[in-house]
Amino acid sequence: MPIRVPASRRGFLQGSLKGSIAASAAVAMPYVITSKALGDAVTPPASDRIVMGGVGLGNMGSGDQRAFLNRPEVQYVAVCDVRAKWRDDAKARVDEHYGSNDCAAAVDFRELLGRDDIDAVHIATPDHWHSIMTIAACRAGKDVYLQKPETFTLREGPLMIQAARRYGRVVSGGSQRVLEDYRGIVDPCWAGELGRITSIDIDPGASSMACYLPALATPSDIDWDLWLGPAPWEPYNPGRCDGNYGTAGNSWRSYVDYSGGSLTDWGAHNFGGTIFAAGLLDLQPARVVWHPASADGRTPAHATLVYPNGVEMHCNRPQQLRPAEPKASVSHERGITIRGDGSTASPRAVPAYAGSGGIYGDFLECVKTRQRPFRDLETGVNTMTAPHLLALARRLERSLEWDRGMQRFVGDEEANRLLDRARREPWAL
Amino acid sequence: MATDPIQLDAAFEALAAYDWDRDAAPLATIDAAVVRTHGDAAQASDLERRFLTVVAGPSSRAAKEYACRKLSLVGTAAAVPALAALLADHDQSHMARFALERIPAAEAAEALRQALGTVDRELAVGVISSLANRRDAASVARLAELLGGDDDVAMAAAAALGRIGTAAAAEALAAARPRPGAATSAVLDARIACADALLASGDRTAARQIFAALEAALPARPQTHRERALRVAVTSGGLACLDDSVAP
Repeated sequence: MPIRVPASRRGFLQGSLKGSIAASAAVAMPYVITSKALGDAVTPPASDRIVMGGVGLGNMGSGDQRAFLNRPEVQYVAVCDVRAKWRDDAKARVDEHYGSNDCAAAVDFRELLGRDDIDAVHIATPDHWHSIMTIAACRAGKDVYLQKPETFTLREGPLMIQAARRYGRVVSGGSQRVLEDYRGIVDPCWAGELGRITSIDIDPGASSMACYLPALATPSDIDWDLWLGPAPWEPYNPGRCDGNYGTAGNSWRSYVDYSGGSLTDWGAHNFGGTIFAAGLLDLQPARVVWHPASADGRTPAHATLVYPNGVEMHCNRPQQLRPAEPKASVSHERGITIRGDGSTASPRAVPAYAGSGGIYGDFLECVKTRQRPFRDLETGVNTMTAPHLLALARRLERSLEWDRGMQRFVGDEEANRLLDRARREPWAL
Repeated sequence: MATDPIQLDAAFEALAAYDWDRDAAPLATIDAAVVRTHGDAAQASDLERRFLTVVAGPSSRAAKEYACRKLSLVGTAAAVPALAALLADHDQSHMARFALERIPAAEAAEALRQALGTVDRELAVGVISSLANRRDAASVARLAELLGGDDDVAMAAAAALGRIGTAAAAEALAAARPRPGAATSAVLDARIACADALLASGDRTAARQIFAALEAALPARPQTHRERALRVAVTSGGLACLDDSVAP
């Protein structure tokens, strides 16, 4: 297959100092292999298309696939899923789109990452796979669109960021709602209408729980060992691995071995929108303060995340403890209130997606330009630190101090045991 | 508030008989008891002893798995022998590591190191990953020996040395004999990870030497995504070593 290198990128590929500096300052130039198609007025020639594959093609993954498949600048070539039905349906969508039978279908994600024609992958597996796949993809030289929540444990985030930066990859989180659903709180905050942000109330959902479903015979249409991957071996039960959006049982999003529960699942959106609105994207909480339930049971337990700039994010704070709303506050229908001190604050322009076509277009534009995307991995990691800390405070029922530099809890060996978990062989970070 | 001892005894009886098709409700008493061990060494020790009885006894895989999960929270050096005994068992090894990886005692790391000489290849890959997650510098020499072994084990050993990221780990990786395919690729990634770890620790000289050595060894004209990613990695890493203002 002929290889064509766009002229503007030859300097880097030849290892010039200029290209190297550009690489260190941003990320590497992509490399797009031609296909036979020459393109037309709407569709770019194949040499300008981004060759993509998808891993995890259930509920969310199929939606991501449709979005990328319908982009004229994408050439979609391969699908991967451990379930035969998702895999077959995903392949059929691609083949129908192109009027061919050329889409490859794999069970093991490493097959996609091993293909040199693939420039980028989108990943929408259960959360416990996200870090392993993202790091492997970065090392393979692929850009990544990764469904939220970006991290499953606290230890994963820095390693994922390290891989993305060092190997010069574009890695975008997949929370399209951050910019699209929360403008009611984003716009006033960024316009300076609240002054300096002082406190927030947010009502995150429940943490995930242990799974005690009975063992059933493993059907032949799922690679159960690969579905589990790094998670502890447990017998098959459809409720364990169902991809429905529920978090109260009978879905993988409910269970502690695969997800953080509603806390991190919907939390990725709610925390994401809130943190973006409040200007906390570059920060991680410095501590989480645990407020136990009152002795009379009238006041349930709740927690407060405290950021280094003094902003207090109250999580599930009972209504009776909340202040009467001052003038300088905004609220969102998903139980979020942001308060400010009413001082004069300079307005800032709300960042926009690069390119066109929402978060998917943003990712693709950044693949071409090597900019960091709107939901760059690092913002996703910072965002997810908040619900992860909250989860541990809930679990341990006490306050915790977080050292961002060391990525450890201060003076709490028990909490530090929970930074990560052993992965089932052969999988490792 | 301490857990009612009668309720706790009943819960552990249920745990001893637990399996995947049994009612898990009694285990909630144990869950709550574990949370209450904070600051109560005596209670933690009592629970540890009870979990070890389950681990060493005739209970089901499901029951032992639950016990290992809890030992990852309350286990101490006292738990290590019973957990180490499970490392060679394909049904139990991962969950034994689930606990050993989190128990901070030096005995836990030593048990994992010792297991490298007794477990089979498949389980050795897991044991190595736990040593990596512990960033166990004392295992560097042993891991270096494994770089010359079976492909899967060699790759795991390389990755672990990269995670450990010490100067000794870097030396071991540099001395690794080239071998075709994935094993050498794993060594490259590990050397990059080592260089980054050394850079983060402040040893810019050592990091720069690694990046420079790698840059000299890579193809001058990268042809694949992987080759280009490697070149970006060593080039950007090398630049990061030169300038304090460039973030590692």
